[in-house]
Amino acid sequence: MTEQYESVELVGDNTVQYFAMAVVVAALTAALAQFTVPYPFSPAPFTLQTVGVYLAGLLLGPLWGALSLLLYAMVGAAGAPVFAGFGAGFGVITGPTGGYILSFPIAAGIIGALVHRRVDPRALDSVSVPIQVVGMLVGLAVIYAIGSVWLAASTDQSLVTGLIEGGVVFVPGDLLKAVAVISLVTGGHLARISFVE
Amino acid sequence: MIAYEHGTTLFHRLDPRSKLVAQFGFAFAAVTTTEPSVVAVLSLVALGTLAVARLSVFRVLWTYRFVLVLLALGPLFASLRFGPPWLALEHAPPSLLAGYQVVLVLFVSAAYVRTTPVRETRAAIQRHVPGRAGQLLGTGVGLVFRFFPVVLRDVRRARLALRARGGDELSTRERIQRLSLLTVEQAFSRGERLALALRARCFSWNPTLPRLAFGRADYPLVAAGLLLTGLGFVQVLGLPAAGSLPV
Repeated sequence: MTEQYESVELVGDNTVQYFAMAVVVAALTAALAQFTVPYPFSPAPFTLQTVGVYLAGLLLGPLWGALSLLLYAMVGAAGAPVFAGFGAGFGVITGPTGGYILSFPIAAGIIGALVHRRVDPRALDSVSVPIQVVGMLVGLAVIYAIGSVWLAASTDQSLVTGLIEGGVVFVPGDLLKAVAVISLVTGGHLARISFVE
Repeated sequence: MIAYEHGTTLFHRLDPRSKLVAQFGFAFAAVTTTEPSVVAVLSLVALGTLAVARLSVFRVLWTYRFVLVLLALGPLFASLRFGPPWLALEHAPPSLLAGYQVVLVLFVSAAYVRTTPVRETRAAIQRHVPGRAGQLLGTGVGLVFRFFPVVLRDVRRARLALRARGGDELSTRERIQRLSLLTVEQAFSRGERLALALRARCFSWNPTLPRLAFGRADYPLVAAGLLLTGLGFVQVLGLPAAGSLPV
């Protein structure tokens, strides 16, 4: 039997820290996706998933925030019941709501890029609140845009009706979630629990 | 809910990589086709897959009921027009067909989920996604799978605690705010401990990977997956032979 000698190449301390946080934010997004709030205007469930996207972008920055939500999508495709209503599987991603799932890493990356403007996340109290708010709203717009186009394509309907069914009806609920997260930002709560010094 | 269940079916014995290729090929071919004959053949394939995986059609449909409601409303929204005559019913059948194609993909992916443990998919990712990205994604998938139930329990407990203290009286905004704050704090303290644990266990860029090996039955499945992917490309590019291709 041939023996193999190879030195172990340890992952750097900072990377381990960011990676561990990306993992728990992905798990948190999966947990929040299970809290379905009945919503009268659209058949798609209204969940707290997007809160996970906001938090990933705000707290982890562009690279690790995007990785976190990418992990969420991959774990779901691999078969863990992490999508809304304990859904799992590649089929959910090709289905009508798959666009939202695929838009999450992109949105988290964009929020992180706007707020932190570098790969490593900054401490949130050093970023002005309006920038954080703008970042979240742009992220939300990205989620709607990709999600609705995907919905329209997967059910073969026009973009306009897709936007209504998959985007516009969610605006009140999503603004509510954004307002809740913004009040975490403005209250300094997120800056307090942010793990970056 | 459909998750991995231990079993002895043919699919349980297959390599996750061949199942991934076949699944991708099927999905690509199914969502790109408009030919009734291709849809019919793919329907038979999907039903056969469920039978081999010992999954009932009703169980799959019930699991994905949210998706189905959305798909069922597709034709209605597709027929809406903003102006007289308001309804254009000729747009409903294509939308119905598109929804049906998604259901076929759901069948096949449910069979994958039922017969493939997450650790095997994780091994496939870690082996084949190149470089450090592959290592992080592979390990990450394994860890998120492990942490999901734990964090879910944290969120449930936080919500229960909120309710016990009269949280139902609060506005929706305040409830979301408090729930997010509580759960993020808990998740981050878990993240700190996870980082420490990873460092203590020498988390490295070049770990020993789990073993994966192709068996005899894997090769035809990979071939079928590649064929279906090819069919998908033919359909996307709109080549004239698309309808008459033998499947």
